[in-house]
Amino acid sequence: MKTLVRSLTAGALAVGGLLASASLPASAAPKKIVTCFRLEKNVVHTHRFRGACARGWTKKRPTPNPIAAVKVENPAQANLTETGSTLLYPLWNIWAPAYQAEFPQVSLTTGGTGSGTGIADAASGTVNIGSSDAYLSSTQRSATPNLLNIPVGISYQMIEYNIPGVTAHLNLDGTVLAGIYTGQITKWNDPAIAALNPKVNLPATPIVALHRSDGSGDTFIFTTYLTDTDPAWASKYSYGTTVSWPAIPNALGENGNGGMVSACAKTVGCIAYVGISYLSSVLGNGQTYAALKNGDGQFVLPSVASAAAEAAGFQAQTPADGTISMIDGKIKGGYPIINYEYAIVNKQQSSSSVAQALRSLLEWCIDPSYGQSQQYLGQVNFVTLPTKVIVQSYKQIKQIQ
Amino acid sequence: MGDENVSLPATAAPARRAPRARRAGPFARAAEDGLWRWSARVASIVPLGGLAFVLAVLAVKAWPALKVNGPGFVTRSGWVPGSTYANPVVTDGVAHPVGASYGAWPLIAGTLQTSVIALVVALPISIGTAFALTERLPPWVARPLSFFVEVLAGIPSVIIGLWGVLTLGPFLAAHVYPLVASHVPNVPVLRYFRGPTGYGEGLLTSGLVLGLMIVPIIASTTRDLFLQVPPLPKEGAEALGMTEAEVARRVTIPWVRSGIIGATVLGLGRALGETIAVAMISGSVLGAVAPNIFGTMTTVAATIVSQLDSAATDGTGFAIATLAEAGLVLAVISVIVNVAARVIVNRSSRHVAPVGRG
Amino acid sequence: MSVAHVTTAYPPTRGRRMRDVVFRTLSALALLFVVGPSIWLIADVVARAVPHWRWDVLTTVPLGTGGGLENAVLGTLVIMVGVLVIAGTVGVLSGIHFAELSRPRRDGRGGGAVLRTATEVLSGFPSIVLGYVGYVALCVGLHWGFSLLPALIILSLMVTPYIAKSTESALRQVPTNYREGAEALGMSPGYALRTVVIKSALPGIVTGLLIALAIAVGETAPLLYTAGITNNLPSASLIHQPIAYLTYYVWTDYNQPIRSTQYLSFDAALILIVLVLVLLVVSRLLVNRTQRHAEGRR
Repeated sequence: MKTLVRSLTAGALAVGGLLASASLPASAAPKKIVTCFRLEKNVVHTHRFRGACARGWTKKRPTPNPIAAVKVENPAQANLTETGSTLLYPLWNIWAPAYQAEFPQVSLTTGGTGSGTGIADAASGTVNIGSSDAYLSSTQRSATPNLLNIPVGISYQMIEYNIPGVTAHLNLDGTVLAGIYTGQITKWNDPAIAALNPKVNLPATPIVALHRSDGSGDTFIFTTYLTDTDPAWASKYSYGTTVSWPAIPNALGENGNGGMVSACAKTVGCIAYVGISYLSSVLGNGQTYAALKNGDGQFVLPSVASAAAEAAGFQAQTPADGTISMIDGKIKGGYPIINYEYAIVNKQQSSSSVAQALRSLLEWCIDPSYGQSQQYLGQVNFVTLPTKVIVQSYKQIKQIQ
Repeated sequence: MGDENVSLPATAAPARRAPRARRAGPFARAAEDGLWRWSARVASIVPLGGLAFVLAVLAVKAWPALKVNGPGFVTRSGWVPGSTYANPVVTDGVAHPVGASYGAWPLIAGTLQTSVIALVVALPISIGTAFALTERLPPWVARPLSFFVEVLAGIPSVIIGLWGVLTLGPFLAAHVYPLVASHVPNVPVLRYFRGPTGYGEGLLTSGLVLGLMIVPIIASTTRDLFLQVPPLPKEGAEALGMTEAEVARRVTIPWVRSGIIGATVLGLGRALGETIAVAMISGSVLGAVAPNIFGTMTTVAATIVSQLDSAATDGTGFAIATLAEAGLVLAVISVIVNVAARVIVNRSSRHVAPVGRG
Repeated sequence: MSVAHVTTAYPPTRGRRMRDVVFRTLSALALLFVVGPSIWLIADVVARAVPHWRWDVLTTVPLGTGGGLENAVLGTLVIMVGVLVIAGTVGVLSGIHFAELSRPRRDGRGGGAVLRTATEVLSGFPSIVLGYVGYVALCVGLHWGFSLLPALIILSLMVTPYIAKSTESALRQVPTNYREGAEALGMSPGYALRTVVIKSALPGIVTGLLIALAIAVGETAPLLYTAGITNNLPSASLIHQPIAYLTYYVWTDYNQPIRSTQYLSFDAALILIVLVLVLLVVSRLLVNRTQRHAEGRR
């Protein structure tokens, strides 16, 4: 079935090639030698013709579909373990049975213990995959040069709130959010919020600012957004998996994304930053989320489309090793708080069969027709990786030995 | 009580005469003696070895943090891991992220505050309970109730935390705290009970839940102590015309006072080290001391459990080292408290054998 | 002084009688403040879990936002057995050492002051600090990863002092004439220990073991960073494979926004309460038996 999808893609490309060649004007004599190209099984073939290209060949070098180069290996029997990010954990639990349905010889143990332990365990070699919301720092990379951080998906973050009587998506920006979290803005009808939302009738409900009590990648990307957009926040609190949250009376620390959503549901006036995989819970609780001001000055709602736009904007800048922060880009229509989710993997695995199984699993995960399909990602509202990043991830995966 | 030496002489010679040695010859019996003696000796060293191992790991891990954070660690406020992605800087030969600045004062204050609240709540309740169980109630009521109190000591703290955060906290925040906050006069000490009452997570709720957790420890020990007070002095006091309250205040409690103090300090040790329930109920504010008694806060133990994972993302290892330092601070506080308890208990009457978790 | 005061005021004045009534009321109230919240707490957990209780919670593993707790139930049992083996052996043996074998001091108490102090300090050590050491030294330092062995070592360190203490006091309650009788019969000390002393102290020792197990089963913080978590059933390996346990689900799932996940938390809490109650009730029955035994002796 999936092979069918793939051959359809290939077929579509081939048809495209044919159309392109057919539209070329047929050239007459004199018969010069021309170099022509043809894409066959996603590999570019070259041939010299006298005069004109034969049918099915083009003078323009076709670009092979880079993703079709991603091949999922058929591994031997192996046991793999994964631990780490609680944001990726639900996705791993969706991926694992689907992958094992195809390759039952590989057993995969998943665990949601937190990004930090995921990285530490991958570094010490106790697990094969450490999942992380954040890429490795240069210090970690120099300490353990064999670690790869391979983007395996894109997540984004919503700012949810619980204001009685307000169902509209509020417009918020970094300055207002920083004002709320530093206690300068204490009521929902504060002029600063009202100025961004002239059409919304805001009540005088006190604001309760929720933050994560555990160190977390969500805190990291949220405070990065505040740091990028509000100089006062940048100088005083900066960003990190934990920050010294300003001591304001209406602040609450909650454990995990789930804790944030549940607390917001029962706390009138709350505001919280939550991973997008909790979207259905937020909506189910009757809360809604805000549109955020991006680097381009637009207020953008979080959605697969706007996050994909942001990801596409950062695609070109994403280095081969995937280490980039994608916050507050100057991208039209892009949602400003998105991030890659990483698989942290050691290049040197204990045996070649383990390495092969690991490659196979990760290849499966980044393959658009398998792991990256919305059939799986859609369940947690993740965004498919851009083409270039898939290719880069694939190159990284190939380094696992 | 007959607590004289009941042990066998340690140097007993292997079997002098053996009229009833069944299948074992003298050699086998000597071997058995040796086996018992040596395995017991080895086993008794395990806790010491374990303790030494734990302290050594803590000290080694905490050493870089001790050097960089300095003595200000216990007085400063603010928990800033620093910029983990920038190039690390080196202070005193220790690499750490730029801007890393750790101050544990709010955590230490939170630990002490919750424990004091727990004690203030638990001590009178425990003594009252012990008194009711020993003096007031008929045995057929007192026995199951005593058992019930002991069961409470065995309930996992995560379950008490669950109840605290889902049921007790919201209940208190909705019905009790606002009442307290609006009726307390604005005078120096009681002012602490005024102001915003929060959402049920914070200092007072944590203290109360900790109190409930240590009541069984103090109450069951106190009950055992009360039962050991000989009846004669009490009967004598009653014969002199003392009321029950006067007997308790002037005879029973003074008789076992040091034992009660010991049990209380044991309870305090439990409250200081409690982790998961506080992590659920404290509201988790790392950077500042609670502004009033309803305010959100956190403790050293709860901080270790909630920050250890993200500390591992600090490539310099400085965040992990700082948590070791926090653990060391907590260990020092608990050890001081425990040693104090032992000293007090040992100084008191012999028959005190504190039960419950240490 | 007090005696003089009391005798001159007999029969009690109204003020003294009032104070007596207040005292009795307060002590009754105190009992109420213990029993009330405790019943509230247990009833609360039961009320949250029972209406949605499914028996297949015990036979399925977590799946997505629901599923069951088979992995955690079995994992908890495995951890219990492991703690029983490690901490039980070490704790009982060191209790024997303290009660029977260590050289007595002049004041008649057992010797081994250093070992004794170490045991007592360890028993008061914050469990999260032990968990930290387990994670840093065993899981990361020795490359064991989240797995059963570091969890067992840390939990055993936690409860060994308790078992040692309870074993020691159980052995000390064995009447001296049992030992003297055994010696008079020419038994060697080791043989007497095995056949006479330990046998009669057995209920007390087992009680201590059961309560220690109840403590170990209820721990969360040290396990989070030593056992890890997994959806899989416990495997045969001591290291490299994480293992599930019930307290994890209580702690992680209670505030999840999805109902079916929250129910897992409450179910785990209920199973834990039942488990702990069983352990404590059995231990109490044993205590009652020994007490009857002891009273008959007197």
